[in-house]
Order: sequence, then structure tokens, then C-alpha cells
Amino acid sequence: MRCGQFIPTATRRDMLRASAGGFGQLALAAMAGQRATADTLQAYGPSLPLPHIPARAKRVIFLFMWGGPSHVDIFDPKPALNAESGKPLSGKSIGIDRDQLGTALGSPFKFAQYGDSGVWMSELFPHLSQQADRMCVVRSMHTEGSAHGEALLRLHTGQANLVRPSVGAWVSYGLGCESDSLPGFITISPPRGHGGVQNYGNAFLPALHQGTAIGSAETPIAQAAVSNLVNKKLTPDLQRKQLSLIQSLNKRHLRNTVEDRQIEGLIANYELAFRMQSTMPQVMSLADESKSTLDLYGIDSEPTDNFGRQCLLARKFAESGVRYIQVSTNYTWDHHQKVQSGHITESAKVDRPIAGLLEDLARRGMLEDTLVVWGAEFGRTPMVENGDGRNHHPQGFTMWLAGGGARGGLTYGSTDDFGYAPVENPVHMHDLHATMLYALGLDHEQLTYRHAGRDFRLTDVYGNIVHDILT
Amino acid sequence: MFLALREQAVFLLYRQAFLGTIHAMKKVRPPILVTWLICLLTAVFTMDSARSATADGVEYFEKHIRPLLAKHCYSCHSSRTGKREGGLVLDTRAGWTVGGDSGPAIMPENVDASLLIQAVRYKDPARQMPPDRALPQKAIALLEHWVQMGAPDPRDKPMEDITPNTDPSDPIAGREHWAFQLLSQETLPAVKTIDSPKSAIDTFILLQLEKANLQPAADADRRTLVRRAYLQLTGLPPTPQQLTAFLEDDGPDAFEKLVDQLLDSPRFGERWGRHWLDLARYADSNGLDENFLFREAWRYRNWVIDAVNADVPFDRFLLEQIAGDLLPHDSIEQRDRQRIAAGFLVMGPKVLLGNDPKERRMDVADEQLDTIGRAVLGQTLGCARCHNHKFDPVPTADYYALAGIFTSTQVMQRRYMLGQQRGMERLVGLGADGDKSNDAYEKYWRERPKLTEKQKHAKSALELLEKGDTAAFDEFVAKHKDAVAEAAADTKQPTEQRVAAQKTLVAELDAAVAKPPAIPPRAMIPSDEDKPADESIRLAGQFNRLGKQVPRGFLSVVSDAAVEIPEGQSGRLELARWLTDLDTGAGRLTARVLANRVWHHLIGRGIVRTVDNFGRTGEAPSHPELLDHLAAAVIDSGWSMKSLVRKIVLTRTFAMSSLHDEASHAVDPENRLLWRAHRRRLTPEALRDSMLLAAGTLDVTPLDSTVSYLGDQATAVGENKNRRRTDFPCRSVYLPVIRNDLPELFDVFDFADPHAATGMRPQTMVATQGLFMLNDAQVMNAAQATARRVLDNESGVAPTAKIDRLFELVLNEIPTTEERDELLRFISETRKSLNDDDNADADTQVWSMVCHALFASSRFQIVE
Repeated sequence: MRCGQFIPTATRRDMLRASAGGFGQLALAAMAGQRATADTLQAYGPSLPLPHIPARAKRVIFLFMWGGPSHVDIFDPKPALNAESGKPLSGKSIGIDRDQLGTALGSPFKFAQYGDSGVWMSELFPHLSQQADRMCVVRSMHTEGSAHGEALLRLHTGQANLVRPSVGAWVSYGLGCESDSLPGFITISPPRGHGGVQNYGNAFLPALHQGTAIGSAETPIAQAAVSNLVNKKLTPDLQRKQLSLIQSLNKRHLRNTVEDRQIEGLIANYELAFRMQSTMPQVMSLADESKSTLDLYGIDSEPTDNFGRQCLLARKFAESGVRYIQVSTNYTWDHHQKVQSGHITESAKVDRPIAGLLEDLARRGMLEDTLVVWGAEFGRTPMVENGDGRNHHPQGFTMWLAGGGARGGLTYGSTDDFGYAPVENPVHMHDLHATMLYALGLDHEQLTYRHAGRDFRLTDVYGNIVHDILT
Repeated sequence: MFLALREQAVFLLYRQAFLGTIHAMKKVRPPILVTWLICLLTAVFTMDSARSATADGVEYFEKHIRPLLAKHCYSCHSSRTGKREGGLVLDTRAGWTVGGDSGPAIMPENVDASLLIQAVRYKDPARQMPPDRALPQKAIALLEHWVQMGAPDPRDKPMEDITPNTDPSDPIAGREHWAFQLLSQETLPAVKTIDSPKSAIDTFILLQLEKANLQPAADADRRTLVRRAYLQLTGLPPTPQQLTAFLEDDGPDAFEKLVDQLLDSPRFGERWGRHWLDLARYADSNGLDENFLFREAWRYRNWVIDAVNADVPFDRFLLEQIAGDLLPHDSIEQRDRQRIAAGFLVMGPKVLLGNDPKERRMDVADEQLDTIGRAVLGQTLGCARCHNHKFDPVPTADYYALAGIFTSTQVMQRRYMLGQQRGMERLVGLGADGDKSNDAYEKYWRERPKLTEKQKHAKSALELLEKGDTAAFDEFVAKHKDAVAEAAADTKQPTEQRVAAQKTLVAELDAAVAKPPAIPPRAMIPSDEDKPADESIRLAGQFNRLGKQVPRGFLSVVSDAAVEIPEGQSGRLELARWLTDLDTGAGRLTARVLANRVWHHLIGRGIVRTVDNFGRTGEAPSHPELLDHLAAAVIDSGWSMKSLVRKIVLTRTFAMSSLHDEASHAVDPENRLLWRAHRRRLTPEALRDSMLLAAGTLDVTPLDSTVSYLGDQATAVGENKNRRRTDFPCRSVYLPVIRNDLPELFDVFDFADPHAATGMRPQTMVATQGLFMLNDAQVMNAAQATARRVLDNESGVAPTAKIDRLFELVLNEIPTTEERDELLRFISETRKSLNDDDNADADTQVWSMVCHALFASSRFQIVE
């Protein structure tokens, strides 16, 4: 039984007794007891039968490149831009209503076609290019927000001026989770700035859909921990004894009150927390991974160790039933200067780990139902900034998808000759969100939540599913 | 006697309100309904006389146009499906003739002037239809030709279903909704229950229980009652001494005396001020994209606490928050208090970087409007930003009438921060010299780049001088005269003196750079724009698509009374007064919303459980007469919140036991009729404060800023390692509220999200709460301190007495024999397993574990 769609049982206690259903169900059950508002039932998940449509993927791994990699240096080769490098770029020539866009800056990197499908990539990603036939490269992304904060919030929640649930929270809400001791949405090394927790928050959705953070972008993942997962004063044995005492007190309280959903919820909660204490470190430990797996991700060698560990963790969480896993780089892709050396440094950190993740998922048969998405809050200008850098560019950029539901080997959409704006099959951020949900079997127009007097959805009143990029 | 007075007051109020309506009717603008019909009739009539569809034309329409419209337009513009985006329907002729928010969609024979044609041509970025993708060229040509023909259209059906009568946003029809009605003046009904009610409130509750054949629960025991009263009124449980004092007072007015004492306690404002701070989306930082510190926000927080403690009448309380900067004052102190109060409007989160200033302006106005709508009126006004409200009687015109007031108000200013000019929250200096010190401070930072430049040059000059490189020095002086001391430039002086003079200048500049002036005391404050103006409706809510201009005003569902805003003013003063005006304003609605909030906080659920939504999508009141009774009471008392709290706390309803009853539960499982008291979770503030109180480490001294040590970035991002502290021993209400970086305890235990007005905090049960109670260091520290207190103070006392003491300290209870035995068993068994030679340490550890277990228990976290 998936936790998003069970039918409320007669009493909370019945449900707790029959609590084979796992984390989400327990927590939901407990919460439903708490939420005696008009929308009580919403606490159980969407009222519609789910999935709305046949699901192509069961989970998502989102690889977030904080800062904004340059599309014209990685996925979107522009010979015309190279030819015009150093010359003024006129907006009129590409249908933009501005005379001067700035000075063109060609890409210093060599591009080639890879795989049977001939996906174009630059020399920056030698390992990833070996996975070309698994990738669906969308070259016609566009969004709003020319500053990081606004663009990050739009990428993660669809909106910037209001607090809205994150994509991962919507997915957790829509699908529930498969694990009985892990949350449905985990974010590994999330950014603290540019919206911070709001980027993985649940907003008005029930709190169990909030992303559980592991560390933060600034901390090496090997040192990261989930808050309050370990008791620093008591041995596990002593804590178990103490927990028995707590539960005994609680159960006596419950007996005296005869029936109380909050107390029942509290009791269930402690069991769950205690279970998480043992499960989480197990999943997070890489001790049982083979040397060849570690090598695949570039773990224990530099500069790939940190991001490799993050990617391997993502796979482990995916295996354990987590629905939405985000992996973030540090704020290192924002190359207003020295875009060439900066991109060489940063791509070297993530290339092997990402390729390793795709390969590892494929070997384990998980790639077919895991949707991997790679991207950032925006791309970078085809125009130069500070002599050798590039500025923020939400008008047109590249993201790619792989695995569950994504049409591998496809290059979709295009930008103009200089990589400034989409000219063919533009895909807005809302469209990407709608498409991701669709791949998971969720209709973005039907996945709604009643709050403050109206139904909200991830894509607000926007979003067109891009069927062409899905299998 | 008391009741009789109240009835009279309700009657007076009723009469007043009734006369108010009549009064208002005299000077109404033509009711919207009538205007609408006139437009409609005129338009249809004109069209009919102007053009009769020829057979050819109809054929052309049927063949080419109808399929086109059906395929591409009806999904958003059809009277049959009820979709009327932008107010426009295209499935009747009348639909395009009348048009939508922008006016008629088609001008027959005038292709270029027809909005529909302009839209499908996709030339104007602000007007492109269909929104997802342009029509094929051929389809556009067909439409153009059709309009050129005179737009023959046989679809004569009248537009029944868009007549204003069925439009939920129609403000006249909306007056039927319960929340906008006059307060009922039901005579207090008799109840059968023998157990006599203590007050009118009890009678209203009993009446409904009797109707459902339910019995109210018995009174809670006195220990439970006193713990409940302390926690609900002050957010702190009683100390053992306070508990004993109450238990030993067996006078008939013991509880009344206690309630008055708690109402007078400064702790009351710290609990009840926080309820308002939830609604005011109070925070110490901006949140959203750029999380800059609101360094001065704490002044507003403390103003709220003080105002609640002083029981400032709610109408005045609102007035100062919405228009405090515009109010007259007798002293600088009063001026400053009012300025600080007006920070309410500035407190909202704003997107600070990258977006269009015009867009931001509308976003800021929307945020303010939505906050006041929800917090004061229980209305979801924000829904009417893009279209007429789909459920409630708020047309878009009303939204922009209100928005005009806020776009005529400025809450931001350009200030120099983190090395550049930025649009930031607006500040003003406090105190007699406030303006001067604020100006001086801002000037320093504005000019600091020049200062550091000058410092650099002065040092270079000094080096040249010391080196004796005369030629280079002279050249330097010519270029940077201002960075060279006068005496240093004087070649007649001996070298040593010249060097000394330049050294002095360098030292002065070093000092100026190293020590910027102290940040002066300031307050967040709005101001009226130089040229306040009416706002235009924004089509589909897009800031750059202007519709017709609407005069500033309020909600027409409340009253049609003309709004007079003096020339050169925003209208905030008038709005603030309108909110509590019983005559032509929203006073009754505001009183209902307020009374319901007080009930919600004291009883556990609102009479209207959707406390922020009194609209059609909210819940109806479970006890409408009681709600009106309480609203009347609050008005009656001169908008005194304390007197309403007192009234409710001194009822039998408040004092009921929370015990379960199977039969009642079968009839009313959600306890809507209040057959027992609701059990409630401690808020995170009460949870923490209660633990610190038991530990003896709580310092109840009110604090000013708890964020002064932070830089302009409120979160520790990148290089900035400076993060908000939570280790103050103060009451939780004073802890930093950094948006997106709340104290972990707040985050985990459902504190109000400070980005938006919150009348009812979410109540969740998630594993992180269990993890927090089991493992958080502060919880364990408090447990240890509590244990030490018991061990130290009761040394030599038998363990059973120690357990009693601990129980009383933490739970305000005496343990049962069973509980006592269980704890003793735990203590002795755990003590043995520790194998520790150091007795004192092992004792502390075991007793800390017990105390920690009590903190983690449901008995502590859930109030009976």
C-alpha cells in the first residue's frame, strides 16, 4: 500500500495497529489526528486516485549546479558566437528588441558529438559524454530571475515572491514514500543562501513532506549529519531504556484519556524517530560499498571525492525508497570572471561522479525508474563580463534529463545562433516541472492542495507538459 | 443585570449598523449591478441595429470561425464552462461585444482596433493569445477577414450565466454571506441543564449540546485548571509555589483573583503579543531571495508586547500599526512609539534583487493587502489580484482600490549596504536628534568608498615624502591634493614636520575607516508617497498590463459609502479607521474575526475553525450566536482584548475537563460542540520556556535586540560564518526570528512561518520532533539542571519525595503510586548498570535521564 492513497481507517488506533505501511503512513496517521481543520483529509495526501497517469519513474534525483554553468561552454555549441567573439552582439540580429547586448565571447572549449545519437558536448565532461545516449538534453530552457535568489526559488518552488512548496515536497505529497524509516524527500548539502530552507520547504503542505537536510553546501559531505540523529550523552542501550520509560509514561497517559490522537501520534513518533536513528546512519555509511563502486564515483580521489560521495548517497537513498533526492554543489559555478578556468575546475569535480551515478543506476536496473535531472537556476550570457567571465542568463540555457521516462539520446529545442534565447520548442521552468511530475505519473493540474481559500499547485496557472522529451 | 446591559448594547449596535446602511445608501455610486446591465443592454442593442448577419456571413462564421474559437479559445473563454479569463467569453456574440476587462474584444469592420486580432497577431508582448503558442498564420487571416466582414455571428443567446447575480465576486449579493451580516441579537435562550451555567457563553455552548443530547464534561480538577490557565495566559506553567498558593486559597473567587493576576502579569503580553506577531509575520530578516537583517524589527516586537500588556484598545492598536507615522503626537516618545508601530507595514518579505521595480511595487502592495485582509478581516483578498475573486465578493476593482492605498505608500528606500546602493526597508531615526544621526550615518556609508580611496592616497603620499622623492611627491600632490595635509604640502616646512603632518592625516583617516559611526537607533517605517495616486487594474494580475483606473477605496461588499481621501494622502488613515468603523466600515467583521481568534487561542479551536478565512471557502461558525455575542462584547468593552480573554477564561466552558466520553465521542468525534475541553500541544515557545523554568535557568527579563551581533546578512552563507544565536536564557518570544533560519526548536515544532500572516499554526507530528526531544543538547541540559535542583535542594530526602518534587516541578502533578514505583525501578536499575564509582555523577545522570523522560512525555507536552 502506497502511503499517499490509503483510505482512512475507522480510528487512528486501528491504523497504528496495522502499521505495516511505513513512515509516511504512520506520520500521516498521527498528523491526521492533529489536523482537525476542514481539510483534515488532505493530510492523507491528494484526494484523487494516484498516480493520475501511468508512471514512467518512481523517484527523482536532481543534480543542482549552484551558481549557473554556461550552456554555450558545455552543451550548446555556437560556431557563430566563436566567429563573432570580441565583437559587439546586436540584439536585432537575433530578434531581441535591443541594439546592444554586449560583446560576444566565444567558447574556448572543443565540442564533439557523442554516442550513437550524436549528442553534442564539450571537452569539459569526458566521463559524462560516455553516457550521451542516456541523456535527453533540453537546450531551450528559459526562466525568470536574473539574480540567484529569485532564480533559485523559481527553480525549486516555481515562484519567488511567495513561499511555496518545493518540487520535492510536492512529489513526496503526491507519491508518499516507500520506506518505513526514511523521509520522502532528502536534500544533500543544500544551499543556505538564496532562499535557503525555502528551496526545500513544504510551505503549506503537511510538514512531513519537508526536505530533510543532510549537511549544507558549505560543509564537506563526509562531515555532514542530520540534526539530532545522535544522542551525545547516552549509549544506545541507555537510550533504549529511557525510551521505554517515556513510552510507558505515554501509554499510561493514553490509557487514562481512553482516546487521544495526539498522544497516539506522539507514541508512534518516538518509535519512528528511534528507528530513523539506526536506519539513517546505515544508509549513509559507505562502508559496504565495493572499491569498484567507489571508483566509479571518484570517491577517495580528488577533486571528485566530495561530489562523488553525495551522488553515491543519492543512489543509496533512492534504493531505500526515498522519492526525491537533491544533490547540490557548493556555490561555485558563478563565474563572472575567468569562466574558462572556473569551468575546468568545477566540471572536473562533478563529471566523473555524475557519469558514475548514471552508470551505477543502470547496472542496478534502477535507471529505468529513476528520473535524473541536471541543471541550475539559469545559464550564462554568451556575452563577456569583466574581460573573461559571463553573467547570469535566465533567457535561455540547457538542462538535461536521464533515466525513468526521459528519451535518451535526444537533443530537444534550440537557441539562436549565439545561445541567447530559445528559438525552437522553448521549455519554461514551469514546463519542466509539469513534465517531471508527469513522468512520475502526476498531473500537475490535478496535484493540488487547498490552502488559504484556494487550490494551489506547483505550476500555478502555467506549465505545459513536454511530451516529446518523454518515452 | 450584566446580561440585560449586554442585550441593550447589541441592540444599539444593530440599530447603529442598520442606520449606517441606510445612510450609506443615500450617497452610493450607482450600484454595480445597474451599471453593468446598462452597459450590457446598450452594447447588444447597438450591435443589433448596426448589423444583421447575412447568410453568407453566417456560413463563413460556421465554416471557419466557430471551429477556430472552439478549438483555441473556449477552454478559457466560455460561458458554458464558466471559464471567463479576463472577464471575456467568446461563445456568444454578446460575449465579445461587451468584451472583458480591457473592453470589447472585436470592433466589427475595424480589424486593427480589435483587441482579439491584436492578441492573435502576437506582436504585443503584453497581449498574446492563445497564451501558449501563436495561431497559424492562416487562422489569423481567417479571423481578420471575418472581422473585416463585420464579424457576422449568429450566436444570439443571452449571457444568463454571466449576469452579476451568479457572480460570486458580486459585492451586493455577497452581503448575504454570514460574515458580513449584522451581529445577531438573539435573546439568551433558557437551557435545561441543571448544572447552572456560569455565563452567557456557557449558555450558548450548553444549548447546542442539549440539541445534540450531549452532556458537558465535569469541571477539570484544580491542578489541571491552574496549569491550563497559566499556560494559556502567560505561556508558562505555575511554579510549585504558585501552584500551592492557588491550591491553598479556597475562597470562592480564588480563580477569578488568579486570572486577574495573570492578566496583569507582564508575561501575558509575551504570550498574547506573540499571537499577534504570528499574524504580523514578524521577523528579524527579510527572507526570500536576499536574507538581509531587519536590525530594528525587535522594536516593533516589543511595542506589540507592551501594547498587549497595556491593553491598548484593538482599534487604536490597528490604527497605530497601519498609519502610526501619520498620527499627531504630544511628545517625541509618543511619536517614536507610533513610528515603531507602523513598522507593521514594512515587515513583509520582499524580493530584493533583479526584479522589475514596478513589479516589486505591486508585489509589496499585494503582500500588505493580503496580510491585512487575512489578519484583520479574515478575507483572502490576494485572490482578486488577477481576476475577480472566484468564491468571495471581492471584485478586482476593489482589490486595486485598496492596492492604490499601498502603492501610494513607500516602505522601501535606497540605502548603502554591503558595498552598494540597494533598495532596502525604509528606516527613520528615533529620538530628538534621530533624523540628524540617521542622516550622518547614511552619509558616512555613502561616502565611505571615497574615504578609503583618500586613505590609500594619503598613505602613498606619506611614502613618497618619507622617501624624499620630491618630484614624484609634487606630481602626486597635483593629482590628489585632498589626500595631502596642508602642512605636508608646504615645501617651506622642515621635512620632519611635513612627515609628521601627513602621518597625522593618515592616522585620522585610518581611524575614520576603522571606526564607522555607531548605528543610530532607528525604526522601520512607511511614508506616504509625494504624489499619492489611484491605481489601475492590472489585467490578469500582470504588473505591466494596465486596465482601467479605480479610485482608492475599501471593500464594496461592506459598504458603498463614498471614500474621501484628502488630497496628497495615501488613504492609510482612512483605511485604518474603516477597519474598525461600525457605521460604514468593517467593524463588525473585524470584531468577529478578533473574537474568534481569542476563542481559538483559549479553547483550542475557533468557533470558525478556519480562523483566517471567513469567506465562502472557510468554515461556517459552529456557534454563530456565540460568535456574535463575543464580537459584541469586544466592541462593547471599547475593543479591550484583555476583557474578552477574562470573560472567556471565567466560564465553565474553559474550566471543563478534557476527559474522553465514549457516547459523546460517537456523536461528535471532533468535539465541535465542546462536550469536553480540547487537549493541546505546547507551542515551541511554551515548551522551551517550561523546561527552562523547571531548570531554574529562565531569565524573564525582557530583551531588546537578540540579533545585534549579526552583520547585514542574516544567514551564514558562504564566507559569512556569523549565524543567529539561540542560547539566550530569555523567554522564547525574544529569540531571533530569522526567516529561513528559525531556531531549530521553532522549525521542528510548528512555529508560524514568518513569511506570511498565520492565525492558526499547523499542528504536525513528524519524526524530527521525536528526534529533537530525544537528542537535543539544550533539552538534555535543562533536564540535567532540573535534576541537580532536585538533588541539591532535597538532599537527604527519600527518593520517593524527590520524585514527587520532580513531578510537581515538571508536570504540576503528584505521581500515582504506580508511576512512583516505575520511576524508582528505573532509577535503581539504571543506577546499577552504570557501574560508576563516582556516586554524585551517576546520580545526576540517572536523575537527568528521568527528568528528560518527563520532558519528553506526552504529559508534559500536551496540556489537559
